[in-house]
Amino acid sequence: MAHDLNHGAPVADLQDERPSVGQIADVFVRYANFTLGGGSATTAVIHGEIVGKRGWVSEEQFGLSFALGRLTPGTNLLAFCTGIGWGLRRWTGAIVALLAASIPCTLFVVIITALFAEWQENPFAQAAIKGAIAAAVAVTVKTVWTIAHPHFRPGNRIRAVLIGATAFALHTFAGISPIDVLLLAVVIGFLLSASS
Amino acid sequence: MNIGHLYLLLLKGTVTAFAGLASLPVIQESLVDHYHVLTNEQLNEAVVITRSSPGPVGLYVVSVGYFAGGLPGAVAGWLAMITPALLIIPMVHFVGRRMQHPRVRSVLQTIVITSAGLLLAAAIPLGRDGLTGAITWAIAVICFILLLTTKFDTLWMILGAALVSLTASSVGLMAYL
Repeated sequence: MAHDLNHGAPVADLQDERPSVGQIADVFVRYANFTLGGGSATTAVIHGEIVGKRGWVSEEQFGLSFALGRLTPGTNLLAFCTGIGWGLRRWTGAIVALLAASIPCTLFVVIITALFAEWQENPFAQAAIKGAIAAAVAVTVKTVWTIAHPHFRPGNRIRAVLIGATAFALHTFAGISPIDVLLLAVVIGFLLSASS
Repeated sequence: MNIGHLYLLLLKGTVTAFAGLASLPVIQESLVDHYHVLTNEQLNEAVVITRSSPGPVGLYVVSVGYFAGGLPGAVAGWLAMITPALLIIPMVHFVGRRMQHPRVRSVLQTIVITSAGLLLAAAIPLGRDGLTGAITWAIAVICFILLLTTKFDTLWMILGAALVSLTASSVGLMAYL
């Protein structure tokens, strides 16, 4: 009997249809590693494969893993894949999905990083890298907005700006470490919810 | 640096962040400012590498690990990247419905917005290192506008920026990069 991803409640007798470890590895190697366009694009591709095409999980199960993946620390996409794997075959599924979703792209990045160190000796490559790094600075600044904008809603904007600006100032001007600022954020978040 | 120590420092960044690059300020403070095993330039390069290749943005931690400790460092980076993902298992199993509790949501929202503020602070030294002339400044500003207003994939933007600076260098404008 397969179980609901949320609280272990039975949802359907899917035991015979549970994908094998090999099938889970195959799907996550192919669709979680090589999609360009970031986590959202990859999630959409995986949705088409495991909900639409193969019917491994329901929309609700997929949605729960997606939502909790976004609330899990670290790389959201990997947490999402782990959650799906857990729903399919518990610990084995979770570990296989996590490894399959992370090892191939990691190897690719290691190779590119090693080559990058070699290319730095080449003057043409040096010039190209300078431009690429300027674009990366823009990407980093844009990511600030990507992270913050879901919380920049009407009625919440002043709170979002105050929290973001305070974190910026505490680290930049007061020299407080990021970890301490984040711990302070936990306390502030708790107090704000108690007062509202 | 001991690889176990490197793993713990990288993990400190990944486990306290809720998006790929949000771990950057913590990692910058540990590896660049405190232990000096990484430079801001290498941190920028790690972002370039992972935004120019398929896979999640959080992979930049693998590049950071490689720069700080070679292949064993890359393994430490990979482990630091995947370890927090396992936290979803207890979340799915035990906490599912409580994630909607107003207090939990408020704490998570505050952490996420704080991460954004910290990432903006971390971008200052990255910009200081990466934007060294009029052309690199222009590239950064144009890319930022394009990122805000279009759906161009960052891969093409980074490749385009590389091509522009390569062209500028080949026509004798290296001093403006």
